[in-house]
Amino acid sequence: MPQFEPDFFSSLIFWEVISFGILLFVLYKYAFPGILSALEEREKKIKDSLDQAEQHRSEAERRLKEYEAKLNAAGKEAEAILVAAKERAQRLLDENEQRLTAEAERIKGDATRQIDQERRKALQDIRAQTTELALMVAEKVVQRSLTEADQRRFADEALEALSKSQPR
Amino acid sequence: MEESPLHQFELQRWVPISIGGLDLSINKAVVFMWVVIAVAAVLMVMAGSSRKLVPGKLQSLAEMMVDFIRTMIMETMGKEGMRFFPLVATLFVFILFSNYIGLIPGAYTVTSQIIVTAAFSFLVYGISLVVGFSLHGVKFLGILVPPGTPGWLVPLMIPIEIISQIARPISLAVRLFANMTAGHVMLAVLFGLTISGGLLVGWLPFVFTVAIYLLEFGIAFIQAYIFTILTCVYLGDAFHLHGHEEHAH
Repeated sequence: MPQFEPDFFSSLIFWEVISFGILLFVLYKYAFPGILSALEEREKKIKDSLDQAEQHRSEAERRLKEYEAKLNAAGKEAEAILVAAKERAQRLLDENEQRLTAEAERIKGDATRQIDQERRKALQDIRAQTTELALMVAEKVVQRSLTEADQRRFADEALEALSKSQPR
Repeated sequence: MEESPLHQFELQRWVPISIGGLDLSINKAVVFMWVVIAVAAVLMVMAGSSRKLVPGKLQSLAEMMVDFIRTMIMETMGKEGMRFFPLVATLFVFILFSNYIGLIPGAYTVTSQIIVTAAFSFLVYGISLVVGFSLHGVKFLGILVPPGTPGWLVPLMIPIEIISQIARPISLAVRLFANMTAGHVMLAVLFGLTISGGLLVGWLPFVFTVAIYLLEFGIAFIQAYIFTILTCVYLGDAFHLHGHEEHAH
C-alpha cells in the first residue's frame, strides 16, 4: 500500500501541521467568534421572546380572571337590582290596590247616604202633598155635611192608613 | 490498460524541497491540504461574518456544525471543555472537508494517508495526556484502574488498561484512514469493472459505483463525527478522571 511507504511521511506531517495551524488560527480568529456569538445571540433572543410570551400569557390570564370577577359582580348586582325593583313594584301595586279599594268604599258609602237622604226627602214631600190632596178631595165631597172638626179627624185617619200601607 | 486500485494513493514529488536532509517536497496530498484549508477557511469566515439573526443557507450550515460540535463538547466534557472548542472544531472541519473534497473525482483524499490521520490522533491523545497529568498529577495514572475494581484484580487490570490506552490513538488513526482508503479502493475497483465490462455488463458495477459513491457521502460525515466525538471522549476522560464514567452510567 502506497500509504505505508515512509517516503512522504516527513513532508506530509510538516505540511499537515502547517495547514492545520493556519486553519486553526483563521477559524479561531475570524470564524468561530462570529458564529458562536450569532448562535448565542439567537439563543438569548429566543429565550427572551419565550420569557416575554410567558409573561404576556400570565398577564392576559390575570386580566381575564379580573374581568370574569367583575362580570360576576356585575351580574350579581343586576340581579339584586332586579329583585329590589320587583319588590318595589309589588309594594306599589299593593298600596294602590288598598287605596283604590278604600276610595271605592268611601264613594259607595257617600252614595248610599245621599240616596237615603233623597229618599227620605221624597217621602216627606209625598206625605205633605198627599195630605193636601186628600184634604182637597174630602172638602169637595163632604163640604157641607161635616164640621171642621170632623174633617180634621177624617184626614188624620186617612193619613194614618196611608202611612201604614206604605211603611217606608 | 489495467490500473491498480491503489494507484490513486501514490504520490509524486511535484516540487522537491529538502531542508536539513528532511524531505518537505510538495505533492498532490499537500496541495489538497491547501485546497481543504482554503475552502474551509473561506466558507467558515464568510459564515462567521454575516451574523444575521435569521441566517442564510451558508450561515445556517456553519451554525449547525458549530452547534453540533458545541453540544458534543458539552455532553462529553462539560462547560470547561469549551476551552478546547477551537481545536476540536477545527479538527472536525479539517477532516470533514478533506473527506468531502476527496470525493470529487480526480481530487486527493488527504485523510486516506495513515500518517495524516496518525498525526491528528497522536496530537489529540498527547493533549489528553498533558491535560490529564496537569490537572490530576500522578493520580492521573488511576485511569489505568477503573473505579470499582477489586484489589486482587488490579495487577491484571493495569496491563489491560495500558493496552487499551495505547489502542486509543492507533484505532483512532486507523479507523479514519481505513474507511477513506477502503471507500476509494472500492470505487476504483467498481469503476474499473465498469470500464472493462463495456456497455453490455458494465452497467451493473456502474450502478454499484453510484450507490457506493452516495454511501461514501454518509461515511465522509460519519467518520469526521466519530473522530471528533472520540477526541471529546478522550479529552473528557482526562478532564474528569473516572468522574465521567459515573456521569455516563
